[in-house]
Amino acid sequence: MFDKKEVADILGIALQNGGEFADVFIEHKATNSITCEENKIEDINSGIDFGAGIRVISGMTTAYAYTNDLSLGNLKQVALTVSKAVQSQKHTLQLDLRHLKPGYHLPVEMMPEQVKIREKVEQVKLANEVARAVDGRIHQVMVGFGDVVQNILIANSEGHWVEDERVRSRFTVQTIASQGNKMQTGYESYGGFMGSELFKQRSPEDIAREASRRALLMLDAKPAPVGKMMVVMDSVAGGTMVHEACGHGLEADLVQKGVSIYAGKKGQKVASSLVTVVDDGTIPQRYGSYHFDDEGIMGQKNILIRNGILEGYMYDRMTARQDNVRPTGNGRRQSFQYRPIPRMTNTSIAPGEMDPKEIVKATSKGILVKKMGGGQVNTVNGDFVFEVSEGYLIENGEITVPVRGATLTGNGPKVLQKIDMVGNDSGFFIGTCGKDGQGVPVSASQPTMRITEMLVGGTEQ
Amino acid sequence: MGKDMTYAERIVEIGKEIGADNTEAYIYWHKDLSIQIRSKEVESLKSAEQRGVGIRILKDGKRGFAYTSDMREDSIKKTVQKSLDNSRENEPDEVLSFPLPAAEYPQLDLYDPEIAQIPVDRKIEIAKEIEARTLQQDKRIKQLERAVFEDREYRITIANGHGLAKSYHGSSCGAFAYAIGDLNGEQQTGFGMDYAKRFRDLNIDEVAKEAAWRATQLLGAKSQKTQKAVIVFDPYIATNFLGLVSPGLSADAVQKGRSLFAGKLNQQVASLEFSLVDDGRLPQGIVSAPFDDEGVPTSETILIDSGKLNSYLYDTYTAKKDGTVSTGNGIRGSFKGGPHVGTTNLFIKPGKISRTELLQDIKNGFYVLEVMGMHTANPISGDFSLGAAGLWIENGQLTYGVREVAIAGNILDLLQHIDGVADDLRFFGGTGSPTLRIAQMMVSGS
Repeated sequence: MFDKKEVADILGIALQNGGEFADVFIEHKATNSITCEENKIEDINSGIDFGAGIRVISGMTTAYAYTNDLSLGNLKQVALTVSKAVQSQKHTLQLDLRHLKPGYHLPVEMMPEQVKIREKVEQVKLANEVARAVDGRIHQVMVGFGDVVQNILIANSEGHWVEDERVRSRFTVQTIASQGNKMQTGYESYGGFMGSELFKQRSPEDIAREASRRALLMLDAKPAPVGKMMVVMDSVAGGTMVHEACGHGLEADLVQKGVSIYAGKKGQKVASSLVTVVDDGTIPQRYGSYHFDDEGIMGQKNILIRNGILEGYMYDRMTARQDNVRPTGNGRRQSFQYRPIPRMTNTSIAPGEMDPKEIVKATSKGILVKKMGGGQVNTVNGDFVFEVSEGYLIENGEITVPVRGATLTGNGPKVLQKIDMVGNDSGFFIGTCGKDGQGVPVSASQPTMRITEMLVGGTEQ
Repeated sequence: MGKDMTYAERIVEIGKEIGADNTEAYIYWHKDLSIQIRSKEVESLKSAEQRGVGIRILKDGKRGFAYTSDMREDSIKKTVQKSLDNSRENEPDEVLSFPLPAAEYPQLDLYDPEIAQIPVDRKIEIAKEIEARTLQQDKRIKQLERAVFEDREYRITIANGHGLAKSYHGSSCGAFAYAIGDLNGEQQTGFGMDYAKRFRDLNIDEVAKEAAWRATQLLGAKSQKTQKAVIVFDPYIATNFLGLVSPGLSADAVQKGRSLFAGKLNQQVASLEFSLVDDGRLPQGIVSAPFDDEGVPTSETILIDSGKLNSYLYDTYTAKKDGTVSTGNGIRGSFKGGPHVGTTNLFIKPGKISRTELLQDIKNGFYVLEVMGMHTANPISGDFSLGAAGLWIENGQLTYGVREVAIAGNILDLLQHIDGVADDLRFFGGTGSPTLRIAQMMVSGS
C-alpha cells in the first residue's frame, strides 16, 4: 500500500532540518486471543493494530513520533513534527530505496488465519477439561491462547527498504490446587515463532497435565529453607537466570549509561570459564526470533561471553554508532508506539560436558530448581532475584522432598563466577520481557548447572 | 468531541444493522509528549497521537469483542462484524449486560488548558531543570540516567445500544528523575516522581530531592545477619504491596474463588490501624473520571475500614451476579480489551502520627526502600518472598544501608501485624500510602 517514492519523500521531510539518520516504521498486527476461566470461555478477542512511527537521530538526540492516521498527508505532517526537533543544517535528501532480503528463513507451517477460531476455542476447552481431570484438588483452571501476525515495513535514510512478517503463537495453562486452607498454583506454557502448528508440536493436553501436576506437587511441598546453599539448576528450569543475571547488563544502552555492572569489562573474566553466553535471533521456531530487527538489521548469533570472558554487548543502531561498532540486530520495539532500544532475543548459556545426573550426585546438600518463575534484576549492581516454581531438596546426592515458596537472590557476576559444573543438556522457556515500559517476546535457555552458593529466601519458620 | 461521538454512535448503528442485540463502542483518543534529558541534552523527544476503538457485542446472550486502531470506515465495519463473529463461538451467559445511562455523573475538573499552551521549548527547559536540580542535591550524584517531563491529553467516549452516550476530556503531566549515586565507584540508582492533573501542582523540587535521596541511601550498604526485626515500609514499598492486596478485593476474584478475601466480609482482615479506600472521583486524583470504562458513574468505596472488610469492587457484570450495583470499577487496560474489575485511586488512609513518631520507639528495625521480585509474589495464596534493601533502624534512627537480604511471609498475616500508620500519605500514580510499620518479621541475610 506504500509507494517507495512516497516513503522516500516522508524521509526527506523528516531530515529537512538536518540529522544523520531517519527511519519510518509501519506496522500492521492482527491478533487473536482466547481465554477460559471458571470452566467457560471468558474472552475471545480479535484485533488490528495499525500505525507508523517516524524517527530522526541527530547527535545524541532522538525525536520520535507516531500516529495511526496513515494517510500520506498526515505522515508528512508527522515527519515535519520530528524534523523540528532538530536544528542543524538544512539539506535535501535524494533517496532510491532498495529492498533488502533476509539471509535465512524462519518457516511457518500453518498461518493462524488458516485455522478457524472455533477450532482454537475447542483446543482451549480441551486443555481446561484435561487439567481438571488430573485430580479433584484442582479447583481452578485458566487457559490462554494467543496468536499474532505482525507485518512490518521499515525504510530508512540509508536507502534500505525492509519487510518482515513475524508469526507467533503461545498457549498457557495456570491451575490452582487446594486442600484445606492451602492453595498453590501451577503454570506451564509453550509457544514460539510459529502458527497453528503449535497444537501439533505440543498438545494442549500435555501442557494442561504439566500445569496440574506442578500445582499438586506444591500442595504437598514443605516450606523452603532459608539461608545460603548450593543450587542445582535443571536444564528444564528455563533460562530466567541467564536472562536476569547477565542478559540485561549486556544491553549496550545500559552499558553506555554506566548503569551496568558489565560496563568497561570487555575482554575481562566476568564468569566461570565453564560459562559461554549467546544471544541468537535466528533460531527457527523460537519465540524471540525474527528475520530483521525493528530497525531493519538482520538477526544474528552474538557470542556475549566466551569461556567466562566478556566478548561483546547487544546493540541497536543508536548505541552501535556511539561505540563505533556494527549493530548486532538487537534493536527492538514493542510496537510502532515505541522507539527501538537494545533487547535480547533468544539468550542461552551453552551446554557443557557433564552428565546432568552426575551433577546432582555430586551435591551433598542443596536445592534443585526444576522450574523457574519470574525474575527481576537491578542492572546497576547486578543484584537479581527469581522465584522457584518447582523445587526440591538435594540430600546426599539424592533428590528428596519438594519445597515451595522459595526465591533465589544473588548477584549476577558473583553467581556466574560460582558456576562449577555445567551439564551437556539444554532446555528453554518463553516469556515477555519488560524494559522501559516495552514488552517483547523472548526465550532463554540453559543446561543443567551447579552454583556453589546462593541465598535462598524461603518461608520455613 | 464531535468526531469520536460520531464514530461511536455509527458503530452502535452498524451493530444493530448486522443483527447484534446490543453494541458498545469505547473510543480512546490521546495525544502525548515526552521529553527525556541526559547530560543537558535532549536524549529523546516523543510525540504521539492515537485513536482506537474496542467493540463489545451481545448476541443471543453471548459476548463478542474486537478492536482496531485503523479508523477507516471499511476497517470499522469489519471489526464490528468480527466482534459479532467472535460472540458466536462464545458460551451464553445471562448475566451479561451493558449499563443504562445514569441519572447523574460526578462533575470533575480533569482538563488543565495550561498544559497544552506551554510551548515545547519551555517543556524541554523544565526537563533540563529537573536534571540540574537533582545534581545540586548531593555531591555523590554525578549523573542521572534520565530526567523526564511528559504530558498527556485524552478523551474517552462510550456509547451503547441503551442510549448511553458519554464523553470526557482530561489531561495530566508528570516529572521524573532517575539519579545515579556514586561512592568510590559503587553505584546505586534512585527515582523521584510526581504526577499531577494541573501543571501548577507539579513539584519538580520534590522530584529532585527524592531521586537524590533514594540514590544515595544505599551506597556502601552491606548484607545483614538473619534476624527478626520491626519492618517499616516506605510509602512506595507499601504501594507495591497494595498490588498484592487489590486483586483479592475484586468481586471477580471473589466469585471465581481466587480471592484471599472471599467469604470474609465484615471480618477483621487487617489490624485496627489499617483502612483502604478506592475513590474514582477523588479531587485531583490522577485516574479520576466521571464514569468508568463502561459508562457507570465512579464512586468512593471503603474497602477495609479499621481492619474490617467492608466491600469488594464491582463492575456491571459482577454486581449483577451478586445482586448489587456496580461501584464504578469497570476498568480497561486499553481500548484493546473489555472492562474488568479494577482499581481507580486506591490508597491507605493516613494515620495521625508523623514518620518520626512512627520510628521513634523502634530499637531494632529495617526501613525497606527497595524490593525485588514483587511480581513473583502470589496474589492467590498471598505468599511473598522478596529481595530487599533499605536502612537499618537503631533506637528510632535510620542508620546504615542494608542490601542482599530477603523478607518473606504472607500478605494476610502482614495486614494483621500493621501496628503503625504515619500521616504522610503519598500517591505514586493511582496508588497511595503513608509510611507503615509492621510488627516483627524475619529478615534473611548472611
